[in-house]
Amino acid sequence: MLWFSLLVLIPLAAVVVKAGGGGWETFVDAVTNRQTFAALRLTVLTSVGVTALNMVMGTIIAWVLVRDRFPGKAILDLVIDIPFALPTIVAGLVLLSLYGPNSPVGVHASNTRVAVFLAIAFVTLPFIVRTVQPVLEEMERDFEEAAASLGASRLTTFRRITLPTLAPAIFAGAALSFARGISEYGSLVLLSGNLPYRTEVTSVRMLSYLEGGDTASAAAVATILLVVALLAIVTLDVIQRRVARRG
Amino acid sequence: MSIEVRNVTKRFGDFVALEDVSVSLPTGQLTALLGPSGGGKSTLLRIIAGLDTADEGTVTIEGTEATNLPARKRNVGFVFQHYAVFKHMTVAKNVAFGLEIRKKPKDEVAARVDELLRLVHLQQFSHRLPSQLSGGQRQRMALARALAVEPKVLLLDEPFGALDAKVRKELREWLRRLHDEVHVTTVFVTHDQEEAMEVSDEIVVINEGRVEQIGSPDDLYDKPANDFVMGFLGEVTRVNGEAVRPHDVDISTAPVLAGAAQGTISRVLRVGFEVRVTVLTDGGEEVTVQLTKAHANALGLHEDQTVWVSPNPGAVPAMSRAV
Repeated sequence: MLWFSLLVLIPLAAVVVKAGGGGWETFVDAVTNRQTFAALRLTVLTSVGVTALNMVMGTIIAWVLVRDRFPGKAILDLVIDIPFALPTIVAGLVLLSLYGPNSPVGVHASNTRVAVFLAIAFVTLPFIVRTVQPVLEEMERDFEEAAASLGASRLTTFRRITLPTLAPAIFAGAALSFARGISEYGSLVLLSGNLPYRTEVTSVRMLSYLEGGDTASAAAVATILLVVALLAIVTLDVIQRRVARRG
Repeated sequence: MSIEVRNVTKRFGDFVALEDVSVSLPTGQLTALLGPSGGGKSTLLRIIAGLDTADEGTVTIEGTEATNLPARKRNVGFVFQHYAVFKHMTVAKNVAFGLEIRKKPKDEVAARVDELLRLVHLQQFSHRLPSQLSGGQRQRMALARALAVEPKVLLLDEPFGALDAKVRKELREWLRRLHDEVHVTTVFVTHDQEEAMEVSDEIVVINEGRVEQIGSPDDLYDKPANDFVMGFLGEVTRVNGEAVRPHDVDISTAPVLAGAAQGTISRVLRVGFEVRVTVLTDGGEEVTVQLTKAHANALGLHEDQTVWVSPNPGAVPAMSRAV
């Protein structure tokens, strides 16, 4: 508990204190600044979108990795982790060379919001795959057989038995994915172009506050992000409980 | 006949799990599939349930050709060794599952669930999660869940295999009573001959993918068709080359019986109410004799004593040396 306090709670408290340090006015100013608000909205909405996509795609990928057999499966299993392993700025370079002005695949996403989406999707994909995969591996197949012998179709079995069992893992992965999404910097800073009101994300906005010496405003934005992250975790947990109980 | 299995063969790669197996199981009976692990009995049960498919042969359930029916359309109840509970659902929800997906009216489902939980003595646990139940309770819940959909046949795959000895014994007596109440055609797989003999009306002995013998528990014990069945259903010893049960061997301290083999006691072992005596005959056989403590005391048996052993003439003649 002490370790946890030292490592997590004190820095978090420091941010909040810092944000309050500039006085309520600075806080309100920073948050109601139109450019900051646009950045916050872009970051949160994109992260929500990416997380929703990951919940579906990540579960499907985990399913395929555990249940299907195909050549190259071991390699795919390894490749999934690359976004984790790659330094984010390298990921940014990779994305820039792939979707940038000289795109070899003809996709020009630079300086657009699509770039933000792509970058966040790239770095957050492994989260749900890696949280769901071990649960699927541990899962006994016999309750699927039990459901079948009771007359359930495969879809019913999946919806009423398998999905609720996987729900805690999916939502835990979603929380991680969302948190990573709203904090992402390195991988999208190159491709997105950081255009104010259009492709600037919150972390970039905070950096520009800091560069201008306005730590209080940066801390204010950080506090907002903190609250958003907390809300997201609580919401995901509530939904998870609902899904798990629905079965 | 409730279940007709005809000429079923099943291979897993090179391994032949079942080879040309045919079994007919009459309606309303409790049948045990008995045999050693890996002998194919579970595979046969899973093929009847539709959880595995036979490479060759046919399965008919209550007159319906079921060979190509998926499990969910066969209307069989299946109970798994490791319970296969739906962990995120309460006991009542587990039992209701089969009824709910059949879209039965709510009050009908509730009434049926209540009735079944009463039957398996779990009515006070209906709102608990399976993780809050003991192994025996979980298995009773699984049984109620399987019975809820009023299956034509009830199939149990080593249902008590994961339970400790005492609960096992209680549950098998309870299963017998339950079957007498419910009368659904029941097939259960076990490798425990005592369990099979205690619970079932009929036993199908399966070994190495083949049916060795089908018969009542008494038939199998007294008139085993071959050495394997004889050995699997109880202990076997040999006197003068004849295979007999150790409790069917007469032992005396004087040569009163003609043809009795003379020998020396090498070991006397008392296990609870019984005494096991090992006799080395002059003919070079090691004969095991099983007798009551009182009988052994009356004879005053001790090691290195010279005794005479012979098969009890009153015992049902056991296997010949053939096969």
